[in-house]
Amino acid sequence: MSPLISIESVTKTFSKGNTTIKPLVDLSLDVPRGEFLSLMGPSGSGKTTLLNLIAGIDSPTSGEILIDGRDIAHLSRTELTKWRSVHVGYIFQLYHLVPILSAYENIELPLLLGKLSKAERKEKILAALNLVGLGDRADHRPSELSGGQEQRVAIARAIVHDPDLLVADEPTGDLDRESADSILTLLNTLATKHAKTIVMVTHDPKASAAAHRTLQLEKGRLVEESRTPLSSLS
Amino acid sequence: MKIVILALKNLTRNRLRSILTILGVAAGMFLYASVQTMQHSLSRATKTSAADTTLVVYRKNRFCPSTSRLPEHYLSTIESMPGVRQVIPIQIAVNNCGASLDVITFRGVPPETLKKYNPNIKVIAGSYDDFVKRSDGALVGQHFANRRGLSPGDKFEAVGVNVTVAGIISSSSPQDENVAYVHLPFLQQASRVGLGVVTQFNVKVESADQLQPIAQQIDETFKADQQPTNTRPEKAFFAETAKQMIELIGFTRWLGLGAVFAVLGLVANAVLLIVRGRVKENAIFQTLGFSRLAIGFMVITEGFLLGLIGGLIGVIGATSFFHFKSFTLGNEGLTLAISPSASVTLSGIGMAIALGVLSSLYPAWKATSRPLVQSLNT
Repeated sequence: MSPLISIESVTKTFSKGNTTIKPLVDLSLDVPRGEFLSLMGPSGSGKTTLLNLIAGIDSPTSGEILIDGRDIAHLSRTELTKWRSVHVGYIFQLYHLVPILSAYENIELPLLLGKLSKAERKEKILAALNLVGLGDRADHRPSELSGGQEQRVAIARAIVHDPDLLVADEPTGDLDRESADSILTLLNTLATKHAKTIVMVTHDPKASAAAHRTLQLEKGRLVEESRTPLSSLS
Repeated sequence: MKIVILALKNLTRNRLRSILTILGVAAGMFLYASVQTMQHSLSRATKTSAADTTLVVYRKNRFCPSTSRLPEHYLSTIESMPGVRQVIPIQIAVNNCGASLDVITFRGVPPETLKKYNPNIKVIAGSYDDFVKRSDGALVGQHFANRRGLSPGDKFEAVGVNVTVAGIISSSSPQDENVAYVHLPFLQQASRVGLGVVTQFNVKVESADQLQPIAQQIDETFKADQQPTNTRPEKAFFAETAKQMIELIGFTRWLGLGAVFAVLGLVANAVLLIVRGRVKENAIFQTLGFSRLAIGFMVITEGFLLGLIGGLIGVIGATSFFHFKSFTLGNEGLTLAISPSASVTLSGIGMAIALGVLSSLYPAWKATSRPLVQSLNT
């Protein structure tokens, strides 16, 4: 089966004053469909840059990024926005829910871009809420939820439009151990049982252990790859 | 629609800021609508149209009604001129010849001629017959009556003239709305000018194109007389006589312009602050798939809503204020009713919306032009 993500010789450079910075250097990578991939590495290793390129938030200086066969490296900003609205769900470290909207309304946001009826939207939102275990919190505002619950709402918002790809930037970075574990279990379930391809950036080895595969980055290059044994995943 | 609802919800985030901005817009638009109402009232009173066929015959080189004295017997001479449809002699008494906000004007007219001369007059309270029967009866314009709180049967005194209100009238002519019509002989005696003397003649001609030739003919006829005349179309007469008042009102145009710039700056500042406080959130929306156009539209909608709500409060406030207060500016016996109009109300609300949208264009551009990664990292 062809990989969902196929990255070929990607380099990203940008200038800061007179200095040219290369967060990614000639990086190649394949991620099969339904894999839960973890990216680790020290600060400045290029993992967030790689995540942003995969999510279509940024564009590489050179190289190819094929997602489900489509090269997104050369799409315009407008085309990338359209593409993201269909194919990507983004999970932020600090959840970034809109404080004036309820959990239901926050999850509804990606669906407002489509042509679904109100009833169709409701069905999808309730399904997403139930999947993340917050069926009874639909009317709660973010300020009325715990950190773990907020992140669950953010995950529901990321999956509600049924994208193939989920990208998560330190999704457990702001949570206590217990909440972090339940979020990681949820992400693992989304990959294993719902065939979502997940790319997660983390500093936490425990979080990384929840993924199927872990890649170590250093100075913009892949330096190490490890697979989590199936027994420990279950 | 979904974006509009989101924009509306966004405005409720910082309620105090939104309320203060809306109040600022309302104050600015109140001022703007007030200035526009004055300009519009002035324009109605001074711009001649093809439907205007009235001449005013005044004493030459006289400006205040108390100094314009013409013999009443000019009436028959003017009436006999070809092209003249109707003539009415008018004696005017005013409490203040200069510019005033509370001018009281009595117009003495032959009671049996008034209705025939001016069929636009409608008696909305009291009766015309009472006016004809009572020698001290007065038909009071509704603006005048509102201002003074008068109703039929009331007695009032001004300029040394005591009258009884026989009826309240309304008319399409702003001048009729602001005067008290009384019997000509009664006013001639009460104001001590003496019988047989009037302030002016109002002359109706057959068509607008006859205004100038007949005006010339009248002035030519009485040129060598002891009381020479100066005859002008009614609105031109108003424009010349109330020149100072018109200049004063013309100046208020700058106040209106100032109000427009104040609203523009206020909304732009408010929306810019809103956008600055939501750099990351806008980036999150874009990450979720909202286009830059949608984000820009949301920002502009917030400016639109601030303009609309503030505009509605300010403009409707100004309209109500002028409707209930019945302000009248007077100068040399002529009055200018500051009356609200639907066109000013609608254009005021339109202006508020336009200002709201215009002032949010730059913030909208700021909200969408930044690179997405940079915004996410703020």
